[in-house]
Amino acid sequence: MSSQIIVPRPRSIDRSKVSYVRLHSPSIRDVPTPQNLNRGQVNYSDTNEPEPTVLEKNVHSPVTAGTVNFPPFEVTPELEKKSNQRIAQYPDDQKRSAVLPLLHEVQHRFGFISPESIEWVAQKLDIAPIKVVEVVTFYPGFRQKAPGKLHFRVCRTLSCAMGGSYELMAKLCEITGIDRSSSDAHTDPISVSPCGNYSVEYAECLASCGTAPVCLVNDDFHEGVTAEKAPDLIAKYNG
Amino acid sequence: MSDITYLPGKEPHEKEHRLIFKNVDRKGWDTSIKTYLKDDGYEMLKKALGMKPQAVIDEVKTSGLRGRGGAGFPTGIKWGFIPPKNTKPVYLICNADESEPGTFKDRYILHQDPHQLIEGMVISAFAVGAHTAYIYIREEFPEAAITLEKAIAEARKKGFLGKDILGSGFDLEIYVHRGAAAYICGEETGLIESLEGKRPYPRIKPPYFPAAIGLYMAPTIVNNVESLCHVVHILRMGGDEYVKLGTPRNSGTRIVCVSGDVQKPGFFEIQVGKVTFRELLYDMCGGPKDGRKFKAVIPGGSSSKILRCNESFKIGRGDDAKDMTFWDLPLDFDTLAAAGSMAGSGGVIVLDDSRRMSWVLNNITHFYAHESCGQCTPCREGSTWMMKVSDRIEGGQATPDDVKTLEEIAYQIDGKTVCAFGEASAWPVEAMIDKYRDELLGETSEDNNFKTLERQEQEKFLSTVH
Repeated sequence: MSSQIIVPRPRSIDRSKVSYVRLHSPSIRDVPTPQNLNRGQVNYSDTNEPEPTVLEKNVHSPVTAGTVNFPPFEVTPELEKKSNQRIAQYPDDQKRSAVLPLLHEVQHRFGFISPESIEWVAQKLDIAPIKVVEVVTFYPGFRQKAPGKLHFRVCRTLSCAMGGSYELMAKLCEITGIDRSSSDAHTDPISVSPCGNYSVEYAECLASCGTAPVCLVNDDFHEGVTAEKAPDLIAKYNG
Repeated sequence: MSDITYLPGKEPHEKEHRLIFKNVDRKGWDTSIKTYLKDDGYEMLKKALGMKPQAVIDEVKTSGLRGRGGAGFPTGIKWGFIPPKNTKPVYLICNADESEPGTFKDRYILHQDPHQLIEGMVISAFAVGAHTAYIYIREEFPEAAITLEKAIAEARKKGFLGKDILGSGFDLEIYVHRGAAAYICGEETGLIESLEGKRPYPRIKPPYFPAAIGLYMAPTIVNNVESLCHVVHILRMGGDEYVKLGTPRNSGTRIVCVSGDVQKPGFFEIQVGKVTFRELLYDMCGGPKDGRKFKAVIPGGSSSKILRCNESFKIGRGDDAKDMTFWDLPLDFDTLAAAGSMAGSGGVIVLDDSRRMSWVLNNITHFYAHESCGQCTPCREGSTWMMKVSDRIEGGQATPDDVKTLEEIAYQIDGKTVCAFGEASAWPVEAMIDKYRDELLGETSEDNNFKTLERQEQEKFLSTVH
């Protein structure tokens, strides 16, 4: 059909050249009408590539400048071993409980949760992929796009805000050149710097209100980080 | 225990009574089992294993220990709710998803004294007959998760965990389960759903009282970190001795976390009800910051209702009722409930006169709008509406009607949801409007000084059009 638009499969796209389309905020244009029903669909009979899976069609990991920091998802023996240990923590008929631990294992190694990793977790636990997707999309702790090498999570809740965490965030963005204007607490909390080395995100209460303002840099916790201390904090990791 | 010394600058205040936090910031203390054993660690476990499980439960009931997670429900009574004819496995879950804004007590136990928690958990599991226990730890404590797993491995090596603990025939395995940064996982049924690998939508009660139908539809006991640690000390002191700490119906010690506008914020372990707000904020925290005055206090985590510092309350019923100013209120469960707020999780957030109430309100509504799980419509929609209205008030773009709208939304969430999140998001809004209505209304006038730059530009443009 000539009316169909042929777009290349996501895998064959040069990732660095694709601008990010926000796929998790449905707009009125996403409602299927006869006009747009086939919009964006690929005619695979014309290509040599296999048709994408349902997951690949529906779950997206937008490419960011930070994507280059992380290896592509693959099942290593070490990941397999760690995952089996995690699954063994739960009763044999309740393997689904290991969804969160497995996703943590994946995110820890590969930076974010990709559609392939969702597929793998689902297979590993004998559950439908949607049951993994619903978990990934609910929890703020799981991300679907790559952060920078240094991922700052600044606490924005009351005590830290009174201690100056808004100023800290502004300072971090100023130093790293991050533009937070398009971020949204619900749909797209992470902003990555153009160089891909840094990313920032507001976190809700990191439970250290007495030493406000606080932030997490990757897995390291820092307390009493006022805006003036932001340059030192970054220098500490770059030094 | 005079031989305990603390790191310089971290010494406890003289009004403190340290049980749980005995080893926090202690000189020469580390998280290894060797250090803990040197300090009579796991002795109470040996004692408990020599007792009958029911005797341990009775001891905790005698102690009058009330849960330290927020609701203040008696721990011993909770343990007694497991159906007597139960044939399913029983689970024990430690709720280490400390996410109530203003609370930071569990952080120090998990990071600095993991063996105290493990000992408390083994004793509690023995009492309720659980052979599998999980520690649900929040994702934001990656370091603590590693510390705990190391401590569990050490304890297993020494025979305090695993099969046939210390030759008593009792088996227990403890596993660490990391959450993923969702506030709602602190709600016990939400936590259970999350542990089952689902979205943490809280379950409706009844019938899903965890003690009867919990994890994997089996009886489950969910206790806060602090509550489980108290069990060790109850056995050490004996329930009768423990109940003498604190005040009647509010026994024991609890950790109060003070943050916000005070000279010395921090944690203080006090006897429940033995310290008033005046003592806490002036003596222990060093008073307000230079040149400032205290304005308001949120006494039990951001979900509790705010108290004005110049308020006075009628506490007690009938002839016993007496007038008390805010400063004379003791920090216990019942008095704070009578004052219209709650002791909650012990997170005291102090605001001084430099804070705009609309700004505080806005910060809190943003938190709840972000953390609502979206299961119940009043909360999902209401929390977002409250955020939007408070955005307007904070930005100086509201009309006086907006304050009323905000209040109406709050009252439409309160009590109409599956879990207590509805109240948690509505109460602070209701209380702040109730107590600071004039201040909020003052910021809705047409000539207020809080308009955003964007709004000022808009108004300038509109005035030229007309």
